[in-house]
Amino acid sequence: MQIAGIIWLAMLGWLQAAALDFPVVFKEVHAPADAKTVTVDFEFANHTDKPVNVTKYDAACSCISVQIKEGKLRYAPGEAGLIRTEFDMGNFSGAVDKMVAVWLDDDAPDKPSLALTVRVHIPVLVALEPKTLKWDLNGTPEAKTIHIQMNYQKPIRVISVNSSSEAFKYELKTLEDGRSYDLVVTPTDMRTPGLGIFRIETDCLIPKHRIQQAFATVRKPSPAPAAVKP
Amino acid sequence: MKPWRQLVLLVCIALAAAGATWWHKGPPNRLFHCDPAALKPDEVCLESIPADAAVVWIDARPRAAWQKSGVPGSLLWNLDPAEDMQAFEAAAAVRIAVTPRVIVYCSDENCGVSRQVAARIRSLDLGAQVAVLRGGWRALSEAGRVKK
Repeated sequence: MQIAGIIWLAMLGWLQAAALDFPVVFKEVHAPADAKTVTVDFEFANHTDKPVNVTKYDAACSCISVQIKEGKLRYAPGEAGLIRTEFDMGNFSGAVDKMVAVWLDDDAPDKPSLALTVRVHIPVLVALEPKTLKWDLNGTPEAKTIHIQMNYQKPIRVISVNSSSEAFKYELKTLEDGRSYDLVVTPTDMRTPGLGIFRIETDCLIPKHRIQQAFATVRKPSPAPAAVKP
Repeated sequence: MKPWRQLVLLVCIALAAAGATWWHKGPPNRLFHCDPAALKPDEVCLESIPADAAVVWIDARPRAAWQKSGVPGSLLWNLDPAEDMQAFEAAAAVRIAVTPRVIVYCSDENCGVSRQVAARIRSLDLGAQVAVLRGGWRALSEAGRVKK
């Protein structure tokens, strides 16, 4: 009976053993402001005593192309390989996580063995703070300010500001030409909920940073957060 | 008894037990089950969202998938660089102004895009309550709440 038990356990081990060893499954990259793509490699090896097949690899985004070195999908014991991901920066800014799922051997379609993550930091050249101005309905129509700060070695100037709504007056103030500005916004009607969308156009040489967007809203006051039970 | 006979006996017992379970209880339930106890702080189960609830549904899948099988009335907001993020922001802001509750979904529970999109919506600071749907589109589809 002991021998049969050993055989049984060995079979269980065979079912569980297929795996590739990725030393790093999360990588962080700081990209330059004008980068169009970022390439990140993930190395791996088969440290088991069985061949391992990569049956599928996929990124849930058209912005990542994934390639496996030399198109090789079967890895004998001791063999190493590399998955190369190329991230299309598009019009992103700030921090963006991108994931690549890798299926091995008998993985279920919804249960990949591995998830590789690339965190790309893309500089924010035109920073708005805050992004949204808020007033409570029936409150005081006081002026509020969105500060616009340029974070680039070359000057970036605000060319124009357009609002989607006449329910808000606005004025652009230059604090330092090419470096910092204030957009001062005042609601004209506090009795009706309203939303204003401001498009702030700059002369930034990098197209994806050229136009920014900010919001102003008059709305019902948010309810106080519910008390947390002890 | 020889080892191989023992092994065959073990396999037969296991198969008989599995067959009896299948016959008695039916095939395994592969439908997505949302366990409220296992939810992360920013997640919700579909069962807690009535079909007529005032919710802005945000589909974080690729545009083609949203067009084919999104929740009726949902907005698209994914992280595809070919898309216009500012258009996503503006469309969401307009809807949030009227309905300040947002639920983001992507394909299934393995998809991390919905959480990133939810973070972007929160960063707009429009005062919306933003959550991620546990189980994503799969849960919605199994509940018959997407376009056919």
